[in-house]
Amino acid sequence: MYLVADISVEICAAKSCKLCTQYCPEANTIQYSDELGKDKGFKYGSAYVAVDRCKGCAQCVWVCDNMAKNYAIKMIMIDQLPKAALTENITYGEKSTTAVLASPAAG
Amino acid sequence: MSLDYVKFSNGFEKFMPKEYRDMVEHGPFGKKVTVSQMGNFKEVLEEHPMCAGCAMTLFIRLAMIAFPNPEDTITVGTAGCGRLAISQAAIPFVYGNYGDQNGVASGLSRGLRLRFGDKPKDVVVMAGDGGTADIGFQQVLHSWFRKERFTTIMLDNEVYGNTGGQESGMTNRGAVLKMAPLGKKFEKMDMLQMAKVAGCAYVATVVPNNPRRVESVIKKAVLIAREVGSTYIQAYTSCNIEYAIPTDKVMEDAKAVENDRYQFTEYVSEEAKQYLTERYGYKEFLAKPAAPAAAIPGKA
Ligand SMILES: Cc1ncc(C[n+]2csc(CCOP(=O)(O)OP(=O)(O)O)c2C)c(N)n1
Ligand code: SF4
Ligand code: SF4
Ligand code: SF4
Repeated sequence: MYLVADISVEICAAKSCKLCTQYCPEANTIQYSDELGKDKGFKYGSAYVAVDRCKGCAQCVWVCDNMAKNYAIKMIMIDQLPKAALTENITYGEKSTTAVLASPAAG
Repeated sequence: MSLDYVKFSNGFEKFMPKEYRDMVEHGPFGKKVTVSQMGNFKEVLEEHPMCAGCAMTLFIRLAMIAFPNPEDTITVGTAGCGRLAISQAAIPFVYGNYGDQNGVASGLSRGLRLRFGDKPKDVVVMAGDGGTADIGFQQVLHSWFRKERFTTIMLDNEVYGNTGGQESGMTNRGAVLKMAPLGKKFEKMDMLQMAKVAGCAYVATVVPNNPRRVESVIKKAVLIAREVGSTYIQAYTSCNIEYAIPTDKVMEDAKAVENDRYQFTEYVSEEAKQYLTERYGYKEFLAKPAAPAAAIPGKA
């Protein structure tokens, strides 16, 4: 079993600084969606993790805790994730992406 | 080597993997993408076997976003960790023998100029500190003395990472490594000074804990190399394995090293300043207007 990063939409969407995306060593892994959190009244979207690409280094946790001071990212065992994004469920748009978050175990 | 190479061949679109389709339709080709748009477009770099949390990986990721024309760029690399990622991108990659990279890039960049004339094709070398300052040293220096027009980037992790921890010329004096158990006896080489002596038109140091700065130096270096001459970037890209840096502390280490021996420095030759200003509208190198003479009290 291994750890991957999990971003809380509720906590991230309150700040949406997009910093973690710029510090993750892996490409196409921390993605950003203008849509996430809209259903809960947040305006500016949230970051999320394509867990199939995450190598579990936790640099994003350090960035969110120490640079953004927002504590939105936790490391979680892959089989304990409530819902997550996978590359195959990510759609690119003109200026942002959308992702279907689903239980990774179900697939 | 143009936008054509990132289009689908007729009838093949539906057979291509999703990652490829995303790259063709939502990648950076033919557009100007920036670091602030990261997470919103498909990057050209794909999955690769470099270690989790490696700062070199982050630097390579940022560099590829910063290339001014990725569709007209060729990367050249050599043995060492970086090539494991650089080769996994939708940018043509040439793999030189260990240490050959600046010789290979010299021929390549001259050949591209013969073939394509004035249309810029950018050649960017990315190699480790061992590849650049030790094994490739002679070819690197000679390419600079000859003013070959391409960019050399040293991925300086201050060790031979790929082969398990030998000291390189760029390792700091006293550093104890698996295969330097008594500590290195000599000083870190001053490649920046050598680059200036050899006539590079642009020389900069950078650390990846400042993504926008990485973007800015890479753009300038690649643009200057199109016409003015050789350009050199030396990037601190720690090896968390050989220096036992916990992966969630890699950026903390980058900050500490930046404050210690990797402060941002940038040298731009006068010719390069003029070129960037006139050709690409860079305002930062315009001569500052002389300050107005201070008013003398009591005089009208
Ligand atoms: C001619 C030759 N000698 C030795 C090697 C073995 N070798 C592969 S990578 C490497 C060291 C790489 O160190 P560096 O250039 O600092 O890059 P890093 O792996 O640290 O990024 C060596 C010695 C080789 N591939 N070819
Ligand atoms: S650093 Fe934190 S707050 Fe900022 S985008 Fe990432 S998860 Fe959201
Ligand atoms: S844990 Fe590492 S690889 Fe995974 S999303 Fe965070 S920074 Fe990226
Ligand atoms: S060995 Fe070091 S430099 Fe090489 S990929 Fe791993 S952490 Fe990066």
